Amino acid sequence: MLVSYATLGYPNKEDYLRLVKGLVEAGSDILEIGLLPKYAKYDGPVIRRSYKQVSTWLTDFWSLLEETRRAVDVPLVILTYLEDWVTSLPDTLARMKDVGINGVLFPDLLIDFIDEYEKYVNEIKSHGLNAVIFTSPSVPDPLIHKVSKISDMFLYYGVRPTTGVPLPVSVDSLITRVRTLVNNKLVVGFGLSDIEDMKKALRAGADGVAIGTVYIEEIERNGVESAISLARKFRGILDGS
Amino acid sequence: MANSEEIIPSYWYNIIPDLPKPLPPPRDPPDAEFSRIDLLRKIMPSEVLRQQFTVERFVPIPKEVREAYINIGRPTPLVRARRLEEFLNTPAKIYFKYEGATPTGSHKINTALPQAYFSMKEGVDHLVTETGAGQWGTAVALSARMYGLNSTIFMVKVSYEQKPQRRTIMQLYGARVFASPTSHTEYGKKVLNENPNHPGSLGIAMSEAIEYALSNGYKYLVGSVLDVVVLHQSVIGLEAMKQLQELDEEPDVLVGCVGGGSNFGGFTFPFIGSKKGSKYIAVGSYEIPKFSKGAYNYDFPDSAGLLPLVKMITLGRDYVPPPIYSGGLRYHGAAPSLSMLIKEGIVDWREYNEKEIFEAAQIFLQTQGIVPAPESSHAIRAVIEEAREAKIKNEKKVIVFNLSGHGLLDLPNYESMMKRIGQD
Ligand SMILES: Cc1ncc(COP(=O)(O)O)c(C=O)c1O
Repeated sequence: MLVSYATLGYPNKEDYLRLVKGLVEAGSDILEIGLLPKYAKYDGPVIRRSYKQVSTWLTDFWSLLEETRRAVDVPLVILTYLEDWVTSLPDTLARMKDVGINGVLFPDLLIDFIDEYEKYVNEIKSHGLNAVIFTSPSVPDPLIHKVSKISDMFLYYGVRPTTGVPLPVSVDSLITRVRTLVNNKLVVGFGLSDIEDMKKALRAGADGVAIGTVYIEEIERNGVESAISLARKFRGILDGS
Repeated sequence: MANSEEIIPSYWYNIIPDLPKPLPPPRDPPDAEFSRIDLLRKIMPSEVLRQQFTVERFVPIPKEVREAYINIGRPTPLVRARRLEEFLNTPAKIYFKYEGATPTGSHKINTALPQAYFSMKEGVDHLVTETGAGQWGTAVALSARMYGLNSTIFMVKVSYEQKPQRRTIMQLYGARVFASPTSHTEYGKKVLNENPNHPGSLGIAMSEAIEYALSNGYKYLVGSVLDVVVLHQSVIGLEAMKQLQELDEEPDVLVGCVGGGSNFGGFTFPFIGSKKGSKYIAVGSYEIPKFSKGAYNYDFPDSAGLLPLVKMITLGRDYVPPPIYSGGLRYHGAAPSLSMLIKEGIVDWREYNEKEIFEAAQIFLQTQGIVPAPESSHAIRAVIEEAREAKIKNEKKVIVFNLSGHGLLDLPNYESMMKRIGQD
């Protein structure tokens, strides 16, 4: 399973729409769309740069989400911090459903809202949306096991404490361990830029990878087309070629 | 009886997968002009960083590090404090794990050795750190020397002045020692500009050490607070567990003192993880009231804000502690894992003042003969109270505490305490 991340509206409207179409044509199974947050608590410097750029022009993100929905036909999962919506959640979820969004992933759910996470998961589901749960190595084993069963589509496991900082971690041993706890499809992300890491993750039992930062870095360096060819390369790795 | 080398574990224990809730990860501040998390890659040896973030429950101790542990006298003794029990006339049994038995006199060497070893393996030739009381700096100075590396230590100015012998030992081991705040770093200069007589603080010394390591391309060793340090310190608790098993004892109460939380966590976490014991008491200083007055918030571990934000019980990174008698407890925060266990009510806490810990130290050294480090005397005070309570309730409980260091180089502190308390 190839889950490709794009920051909504990055690098600009036109290139963003070309990017999401291209990522799907290149074989992404699911798109994760990041909304500009108030505080990118768990994002690394690269994704933060993309938010900063978007913040200079994007005002009506709902209409751009609608355009995204019309542009591609794979499931769309919104990546956004619960902290930003906690006071207006039912309306926001209803609107996402209307726009045709398929799922929501709150990276701060199990960290900053741990005592009420079940309530929020139920709330997402009650609006007909998928609740994709984000976990990481600092989530206790019994909790990973428990939430893996209620996570829709797949369980997201971020191997690093932040995106896009190549901190040294043992990807294979982390995933070998977590695989035994997860009764669901397991998608691994956070700093999987390295082809070797990606292969290790798959060999250790991951069902898919989530890629984001490397696309943005590639866009910064060589533009959108080049990021799309990366997605093609990742598809190839997943398909075993 | 197991032979003593069999008592030293071959794995360190990490409590994170066994915590009751997810440990909040480190963060960059909202409008960071650079990523602190990325900065860690530049300042820390990469294997140390890998261990910080790879949260396996058991992490193998490299053979060479295990041999180094043997070389410094591990396993440290687990001693029954019979004379103390008699003095208190308590039905409780009291044991202590004696970390003061290492050459540098405290538990700090347990993490300095592996960090220096990993640095050497990575081709690093110079280590930098900060030290409060001098125990951590001494441990780094010796560990660096054992692996043929140079070291520079930023020592909090009040301690530098109060503890000239600590400085001498570090220098004998071959370290360069500076009294922080110094004019060797931009941050130090800024602090001195605002207050030329600044007594220094651990947070400031830490900031200087990090800046110095960065600007010279050296590696920075971290002495407490971060998960990887607590991980290495787990040798204390793992050994103690085996030693208690050999004695056929089940511990009830486990006690340790807290500066950043590394000796307490290293001692108690293996017990907490395997659900041995029913009460865990973390003891801080009344004069540095982080447990009673601190907030559970994201805060910087260092005063300059160079390290990533971590969620911990903290008095605030700008907090300047009073220059009290137990330098090692003068820190504004407590390790994130320990902070969470306290917030969740799994670990209890106490805070004692100078007079209370002085009395405890005196009872202990007059019964057991060992001069405890003033930091460790905080733990002793709690042990005495538990033993007295056991007497009132006539309970035969087993109390085990970590004597994190000896106080033979803290005699000037004890002298000044005697003067203040009026016992001279
Ligand atoms: C003897 C001794 N005990 C305890 C401490 C407290 O530190 P921590 O809580 O990080 O173990 C120190 C710190 O310098 C120390 O030297």
